[in-house]
Amino acid sequence: MTGTTAPAAGAEVSALQAALAAEHAAVYGYGVVGAHLTGAALAAATSDWVAHQVARDSLEAMLRSSGTQPVAAAVAYRIPHPVRNSAGAMSLAVTLEDRVATAYLGLVALPATAIRELGARGVVAAAVRAASWRGKTVAFPGFVAGALSPARR
Amino acid sequence: MTCLDSAEEIERGLAGGSVLADRTRRAVLAATAVGLPLLAVSGCKGVGALATPPKPAPDVAVLRSAIAAEEVMIARYDAVIRRSARLARGLRPLRDEHLLHLAQLRSRLIVPLGRANAASASPSVSGRTLHEHEAAGHGSAGHGSAGPGAVPAGAAAISFLQAAERAAAADLLRKLAVASPSLAQLMASVAASETTHVAALSAARGAGRL
Repeated sequence: MTGTTAPAAGAEVSALQAALAAEHAAVYGYGVVGAHLTGAALAAATSDWVAHQVARDSLEAMLRSSGTQPVAAAVAYRIPHPVRNSAGAMSLAVTLEDRVATAYLGLVALPATAIRELGARGVVAAAVRAASWRGKTVAFPGFVAGALSPARR
Repeated sequence: MTCLDSAEEIERGLAGGSVLADRTRRAVLAATAVGLPLLAVSGCKGVGALATPPKPAPDVAVLRSAIAAEEVMIARYDAVIRRSARLARGLRPLRDEHLLHLAQLRSRLIVPLGRANAASASPSVSGRTLHEHEAAGHGSAGHGSAGPGAVPAGAAAISFLQAAERAAAADLLRKLAVASPSLAQLMASVAASETTHVAALSAARGAGRL
């Protein structure tokens, strides 16, 4: 974002591409989510859909400005579980957001401060949307479920 | 001294057990991971690099402050939970997530033997169940430095906790740049969790009214 002239380092490019790929999937997925919702839930899905489009455009611009061709969206995505009603749609939204959060968390491990902050903002935003669809919060957004939970009993 | 020699020295020093408190294997591995980047900076550039010794990893200071912040947050939640049965039901799940944050942060702190400090003085939360935590009255006045301070009563308690969650998340995000990659990821995730608590607290206040 900050007028990068030199091509970004390899790790940075692949992490940015991973975040972009997750945003592409979310943009596609929210189309499916919205198709099964009405009223306030549909409005929320539309708002989240737009947020992912904005994030996608921003990542693409960043990659281009560093001389990298952004990954393209797939023509279609396999939906992880069948979506037949509003509960299924909300569950898909949770999955999409969790995957986006994980992708942005990858950026937080990189050395450049601006990239870390971009990643952290992405994790926070995805976590807030995920919590709203999930109806509850989680302790470690972005980490694969159970990765950081202590063994119980 | 070759790079390999110093790598082995670091490994021995960390894994020898004599300088480490009884901590998990994960903590030892994490410490090794912290040690190796330093090696890459200082160990392989020859004698010239010795003129500017690497700064000690700032993770310890960042970790200690993050641990202290979680302890205060838990004490605040506990204070409200004890005072209001009406709000307790909604607050416990959020307080429990802070206990998980605390356990995860503590597991990353290597405490030298014989050093009496806050991190080693209190038993690890991860070793106890959440019910035991509550029964033990963790966060009560006897807990020392992690007291809740003045926590307002009634509906103001929710706004107070929301402000505390926002401030804690902002503080973690401000310190991202000085943390190791792995700790930075944990801090970003904890900050995200704390940010989600703000909306969850509003819901808890709504539920409490019923």
